[in-house]
Amino acid sequence: MQSKHPAGRLPEPPSPIADDGDETHFCGTCAFSSACIAAGYEKPELAELQCLVEHVGPFSAGQHIFRTGDPFRAIFAVRSGTVKTRMVDKEGREQVLGFYLPGEVIGLNAIYPEHFPCDAVALDTAFFCRFSFPAMSALASRVPAVQKHLFRMLSKELGSASLLAGDHSADERVAAFLMDLAGRYAARGFSATRFHLSMSRGDIANYLRLAAETVSRVLSRFRSQGLIRIEGRELELLDPAGLRQIGQALLPD
Amino acid sequence: MRQSRQTPDMPTAIIPPEFDATLIARYDVAGPRYTSYPTAPHFTAGFDETVLRGVIRTSNEEPIPRPLSVYVHVPFCTSPCFYCGCNRIITRDASQADRYLQRLYREIELVAPLFDRDRSVIQLHFGGGTPNFLDTTQMGELLESLGQHFSFSHAADREYGIEIDPRFADAAYIHELGELGFNRISVGIQDFDPAVQKAVNRIQSFEQTREVLDAARSSGFRSASVDLIYGLPLQTVAGFSRTLDQVGALNPDRVAVYGYAHLPEMFKAQRQIAAADMPDPATRLALFGCAVTQLSAAGYVYVGMDHFAKASDELVQAQRAGTLQRNFQGYSTHGDCDIVGLGVSAIGRVGDSYSQNARDLIGYYAALDAGRLPVVRGLELDEDDLIRRALIGELMCHGLVDKRRFGARHRLLFDEYFVRGRQRLAPLIADGLVLEDARHIRVTSRGRLLLRIIAMCFDAYLDDAAQAARYSRVI
Repeated sequence: MQSKHPAGRLPEPPSPIADDGDETHFCGTCAFSSACIAAGYEKPELAELQCLVEHVGPFSAGQHIFRTGDPFRAIFAVRSGTVKTRMVDKEGREQVLGFYLPGEVIGLNAIYPEHFPCDAVALDTAFFCRFSFPAMSALASRVPAVQKHLFRMLSKELGSASLLAGDHSADERVAAFLMDLAGRYAARGFSATRFHLSMSRGDIANYLRLAAETVSRVLSRFRSQGLIRIEGRELELLDPAGLRQIGQALLPD
Repeated sequence: MRQSRQTPDMPTAIIPPEFDATLIARYDVAGPRYTSYPTAPHFTAGFDETVLRGVIRTSNEEPIPRPLSVYVHVPFCTSPCFYCGCNRIITRDASQADRYLQRLYREIELVAPLFDRDRSVIQLHFGGGTPNFLDTTQMGELLESLGQHFSFSHAADREYGIEIDPRFADAAYIHELGELGFNRISVGIQDFDPAVQKAVNRIQSFEQTREVLDAARSSGFRSASVDLIYGLPLQTVAGFSRTLDQVGALNPDRVAVYGYAHLPEMFKAQRQIAAADMPDPATRLALFGCAVTQLSAAGYVYVGMDHFAKASDELVQAQRAGTLQRNFQGYSTHGDCDIVGLGVSAIGRVGDSYSQNARDLIGYYAALDAGRLPVVRGLELDEDDLIRRALIGELMCHGLVDKRRFGARHRLLFDEYFVRGRQRLAPLIADGLVLEDARHIRVTSRGRLLLRIIAMCFDAYLDDAAQAARYSRVI
C-alpha cells in the first residue's frame, strides 16, 4: 500500500537510527563519545586530530560488512540495526559467534591477525560508523581514555564467550541470552524490557549450541510461565528477575 | 436502557444485537466481510512462487514459529446450487477427482517441506465445492499424504473440520470420516422450504440432514455447524421461521446465516434465478430479523457478522476471553496459526502475507505439472496493513478497542493515527452504532449487526477508492 499514514506513529524501539550527530556533536549511541568527552575531547577537537569518522550503510539483511580474510583496516560501530559475526567451516557449516547491537563495535578481534577472522553479516537494515584503525591507534596514543576504552571493549569481547561455556541447560542458556541482550540495550539507553529479536531462531540456536526447536520450546515455556510476552519477533520481558534467576549461572553479577 | 447494559468490564460483543430494520436498511450497502484485510481484490500478481518461498522461510525463522492450519479445497459439485458464488466445478465424472488428487499430492509434496518439521498442524479444514465429492478411500489417501508430509498434531484439541452436503453423504460415510479423525462438521442447509429449494436447485430433506448430523454425533464429532441463507428466491418469513424451528430441533453447536447477494452478471449460476422471485428489501430484512430473534430465543449467542453459537461453544468462550480471531472460515479460536491453502483457488496466510492459488484447474494443473507452486497472486502486508488488520479484527471479534492499549501495542497515538477513520466513524456514532470516548471505541447493540460498516471506516483501501471516485466525478 503506497499511501502511508505516518501521523501518530511512534518511533520503533530499540533501533531509532542514531543519526543525531553532526560536525560538532557525537551521535547518541556513539561507541566512543563517552571516553572522548571524559578526556576533554569534543568532536571539533577530534576533527583537528584528523580522526575522521565515516558513516557507511545502509547494509540490507544478509549483506556482508566484511568477510573472513579481508585485510583489517577499520573497526565498525553499529549505528542502527543488528549484525551477526560467524565463521563457516570447510564443510559449509556455520558457527554464529555473536550478535552486535547499536552502539557496539565489530572488528575488534581482527586487531592482531590484521585480517578479519570472521564474517560480519547484517540481520536487518544496518548503518555503521567506520573508524580507520591507523587513525584510531593514533588517537588512542594521544588520548589514554580512548586507549583504555578500546582495551575495555576488547576484554568484553573476549568475555562474551562465557555465555556458551560450560555444561548448562537450554533454559539457562536462553534466559541468559535474553538477559544479556536486555542489559546491552539498557546500557545504550534503549528499553531493557521490550525489544525486537532481529536474529532468526536458527541463528540464536546456532549461537547457543542448541537445536532450533529447543529454542522455540524454551521460549514457549517461558511464555506460558508468564516470564515473557512474544509476538512474532517482538519480545517483552515480563519478569526480568525470574529470567535472571534461571540464567544466573551464566550471567555476571 | 441500551447503554446501561454496557459496563466497562463486559465486552460489548456478548450483548445481544438490536435489530432495527430502518437502521439496517439505511446502511445496507455492499462491503467486505473482512475474512482477510486487505481483502482479496487487493492481492496482486507480483506475489509469485519466489516471494511465497521467502515468506515461508521468514516464518520458519521466528523465535516461536506459528503452528499450522491447513485448508484443502475440493472444487467439485455434482449439481449446481443456483445461489452459489463459490469457485466450483459441476461434474458427475468421478475420475475428475483422481486427476485433481494427483495434482493435490504434488502440491503437498512441494509445499510441506518448506515448513520446518516442528511446526505442527493443529487445524485441518476441507472446504469446497463439495468435499464429500471424494469417497472415503480417496479421503483416506489424501489424509495419509498430508500426514506423511506435514507434522500433524496428536493433541486432543486438534481440529479436523469438513463441509458436507447431506444430499450426497449417509451415516456410514460420516462414520468413516470420524474414523479418519474428522471431529467437526459443517452442513449446508440454506432453507428447508420446498419452494425455495426448488428455486435454487437444491432439494434436501430435513431427514437427510438429520441423518448426517446424528451420525456425526455418534461418530465422535465434537462440533456441528449448519449454514442458512436469507434473501433466497421465493423465501418467506413464515417458511424461514419453520426452517429455523427445524434447525433448533437439529441442535447444532453453531449456525451461520449468510445474506444472499444476487449478482447474476458475476455468477453464471445465479442467472437461473428469476428476478421476479427475489424477495423485496423489506422481506429480506425481516428474514434476517427472524433469524436473529429465533436463534437468540433458542439459546444461541450472536458472535458477529453471520455467526451464532451456543453459549457453551468455544467461539463464545474465546470471545468472552478476548482471544477470538477472524479468518477465512469466519471466526476462529486458532487465529494464531499460519494458514496453508492447498488446492485450486485456495488462499493461504503465512506470516504477514496472503497468497492465492490459480483459480482455474488449467492453471493449477499446469503449474504443478511443471513442478511449480500454483500460487498466482498475493500480498505482503506492510506496517499500516498490519495495524489496520489488528484493529478491524478487534472490532469484528470483540466490538471493543482500548485505544491506549492498542496504541501501546502498535506504537502509535491512536487518535492521531486514525484521524480519517475516526472522521468516518462520526455519523455512525451519531446513529448510536458506536460509542467513542477518550479511552475506548465500543460497538453498541445497535451496531452489532453492522460490524462491516464500522470496520469499513478503518479500511485504508476504501479511502483510496473514495478518492478515485471523487476524481472521476470531478472530471
